Amino acid sequence: MALLEVNNLKKIYTTRFGGNAVQALANVSFSVEQGEYVAIMGESGSGKTTLLNIIAALDKPTSGEVLLNGKSISSISEKEISAFRRDNLGFVFQDFNLLDTFSIQDNIFLPLVLAGKPYNEMDERLKPIAKKLGISDILGKYPYEVSGGQKQRTAIARALITKPKLILADEPTGALDSRAAEGLLKIFNEINDEGQTILMVTHSIKAASHAKRVMFIKDGEVFHQLYKASMPNEEMYKKISDTLTMIATGGARNE
Amino acid sequence: MNKFFYLRLAVNNIRKNGQTYIPYVLTCIGTIMMFYNMCFLAVVKDIGYISDSQSLRIILRFGATVIGIFSVIFLFYTNSFLIKRRKKEFGLFNILGMEKKHIARLMFFETLFIGFISLAAGILAGILLSKLMILLLFKIIAFKVTFGFEIPISAIVATVALFCGIFLLNLIYNICQVHLSKPIELLKGGNVGEKEPKTKWIMASIGAICLGIGYYIALTTESPLTALNIFFVAVILVMIGTYCLFTAGSIAVLKMLRKNKKYYYKLQHFISVSGMIYRMKQNAVGLANICILSTAVIIVLSTTISLYVGVEEVLRTRYPKDIAVNVDNISDKLADKLDAAIEDQIAKAGTVKKEAISYRYMSLAAIQNGTSFTAAGPDNYSYNKLTIVYFIPLAEYNKMENKFLSLSNGEALLYVLKGDVYGDTVNFKDFKLSIKERLASFKVVELTPTLLYNCYYIVVDDINTIKQVMNSLEVNAMDELSYYYGFDVDGDSNVQINLVKSLRNAIKNIGVNGYVDGPEIERESFYSLYGGLFFLGLFLGLLFIMATVLIIYYKQIVEGYNDKERFEIMQKVGMSHSEIKRSIHSQVLTVFFLPLVAAVIHIAFAFKVITKLLLVFYLTNIPLFALCTAITILVFAIFYIIVYLMTARVYYRIVS
Repeated sequence: MALLEVNNLKKIYTTRFGGNAVQALANVSFSVEQGEYVAIMGESGSGKTTLLNIIAALDKPTSGEVLLNGKSISSISEKEISAFRRDNLGFVFQDFNLLDTFSIQDNIFLPLVLAGKPYNEMDERLKPIAKKLGISDILGKYPYEVSGGQKQRTAIARALITKPKLILADEPTGALDSRAAEGLLKIFNEINDEGQTILMVTHSIKAASHAKRVMFIKDGEVFHQLYKASMPNEEMYKKISDTLTMIATGGARNE
Repeated sequence: MNKFFYLRLAVNNIRKNGQTYIPYVLTCIGTIMMFYNMCFLAVVKDIGYISDSQSLRIILRFGATVIGIFSVIFLFYTNSFLIKRRKKEFGLFNILGMEKKHIARLMFFETLFIGFISLAAGILAGILLSKLMILLLFKIIAFKVTFGFEIPISAIVATVALFCGIFLLNLIYNICQVHLSKPIELLKGGNVGEKEPKTKWIMASIGAICLGIGYYIALTTESPLTALNIFFVAVILVMIGTYCLFTAGSIAVLKMLRKNKKYYYKLQHFISVSGMIYRMKQNAVGLANICILSTAVIIVLSTTISLYVGVEEVLRTRYPKDIAVNVDNISDKLADKLDAAIEDQIAKAGTVKKEAISYRYMSLAAIQNGTSFTAAGPDNYSYNKLTIVYFIPLAEYNKMENKFLSLSNGEALLYVLKGDVYGDTVNFKDFKLSIKERLASFKVVELTPTLLYNCYYIVVDDINTIKQVMNSLEVNAMDELSYYYGFDVDGDSNVQINLVKSLRNAIKNIGVNGYVDGPEIERESFYSLYGGLFFLGLFLGLLFIMATVLIIYYKQIVEGYNDKERFEIMQKVGMSHSEIKRSIHSQVLTVFFLPLVAAVIHIAFAFKVITKLLLVFYLTNIPLFALCTAITILVFAIFYIIVYLMTARVYYRIVS
């Protein structure tokens, strides 16, 4: 059974007075297996972020369903949804979404505190993660005192510390310089190698070329997929780039 | 470029910033209206018809000054808040190609526009309201209403001058703010100051010490005269303490809580403690302001209300007898003549006297040190060891109390009205009196109004002994004793007033130096004094409440914009909507009710010293004051809660 199954997802935004309806997702279906590393690519307005928001249960689809471990996300009540999100999903955002009122350490602890875990357990969980992400030295600092790369690694630590089934990353390299982005992608590969499932939405060909599978979305539908297999990053980069050019020039499906 | 461009842009800007500018303009109109009205009352002709118009005018002029000073501080504070929020907008103009002098011109038109609207509306509303104000004032001081409508030019001139000055000051401040900063700083203007505040232990300690000393003074001051002098010091100390503790103390406490890991890493504490640290940094001064304003409102209202409600009691305390005649330096012969004249006038007034008391005495203002007394100089009158000693010849005492005691030279009877004399002798420098007996009761007690100082009655064998005492202290004593004659009469207010008047004539005819008074003839001036204070209290109370409302309102807006982002992040990380709402609600609640709680604590500590101060105004009824205070706090708290709920709606609209 797939870890994540997305079946015939459709999302239509209507303006407040029922005026122009905009279709963000037409008919999206795909599945993600345990331990996969999937990148979703597409132009601005192709519906990537809408898709991610629906998977994260931050938004509701117009029709269709999302199954995580065989359980439908839309069947979870409003009351339990936050706890569900906290226990099963880890988030990494483009703009980090760290709270300035907390130190780096407290930002990472936040989901555990919300889950009511005792301090000792939190501390034990933090140590190996912080070491792996190279942020052990800055735990006592505040978000405005550290670099963008360090902020994003903090956000990853926050996502990992709950041991989520799935990590959802929305343009994780979007606000980073190339070196920091490279470091981050290395970390994603490492945690994926340890068995962590990752679903990433990105614009960046470079970021996508690190993933095991790349899905292309156009006009609210899954347009094409690429599997990396044993391909080196450079070759994958080339392939993605070609596919994007083809999509942009309006080529037909090649599958 | 169209020459009206800046004017149109200015009007547009204000309209776009309506959420913050409309309350500001309303406050300007409100303060202008109140200032005009106070100036109006201070100069209006109608008040001249009141018998004691001078003291009332002094109170009103004082009120106008307080409102004026307050307006300057308050409108400046509000303006600096507004300009901080708009820095980004000006930065954008700057980057889009407007020079700073153009921005200055824009701000000039904005100020002109706001100033014109506020002054026009404020003065117009003030003029319309002025008749109502004077009717209210006359109602409060129980004075018959005169008719007529007056618009004193001097009041309008004063109002326009003061507020033009304030607007000009604000404009200069704003121009400086924009001029001194770079465009990039302007763009970021709203976002500076996100760093975690440092713990300022020194400041927190200073705050605690100041507050402690202030409270200590308030609790330990016994003498009303000392209270009068030291109250101001205590107020300043408590104000410093409040500011320091709100700014530094709160953060120190919160950081200590954060250090306690077991406590801190619990869901509710985790969010609220860290949130509070930032909230306190941004809001501490505003909250301290609210706290001090609330304290001021409650104290001003409760004291003036209880004085006004208790004015009849005050009159009775101040004038225990319906009619009292007091004459200094009068010979026995003239005293007899005075007695006859009083009887004569009572008969002429067609009434009878009751409960008459008369005695002869000589008074001494002294400084007491244990059992020895020295003369008090003119500078010592506010000194807390000030003591009044009344010497009464034995013959007078025996007559008054219907007794037949005898004293030999150097012996004395002592009656302690207030204070303590230990031992069996009292010393007046070299002159000693041995106390033969301490009196348990004395008729004169009921004649003495509230005591602001220690007071003793000493009965000696005759006037020569009194003179020896005075000589020993090198006091320029009068040749003769003073004379007091007090009695109640059977008759209404008019009878009493007329009797006082005729007695005043009679004293003049005899040719002695003295005065006659009673509660009835003094009633009007007491009402105009206490009623004037009450009116002032209401007025200032209203002004302070307006200020409190505005500060709370702006605070909610700022909080709202700051919390919006935090709200969203926490939701993404896995906090449910209701959890966030609950946590933020509890923080906002704490922040807003902290000042009220602190104000009530201040008042609890100030209560005793205020009762002492009220003694200076002859108000002895402590339960009355306690009741007035409790009611004022209750009404204020209800009002505060309503304001909170109303502004909280604005807050929730911003965050969600």
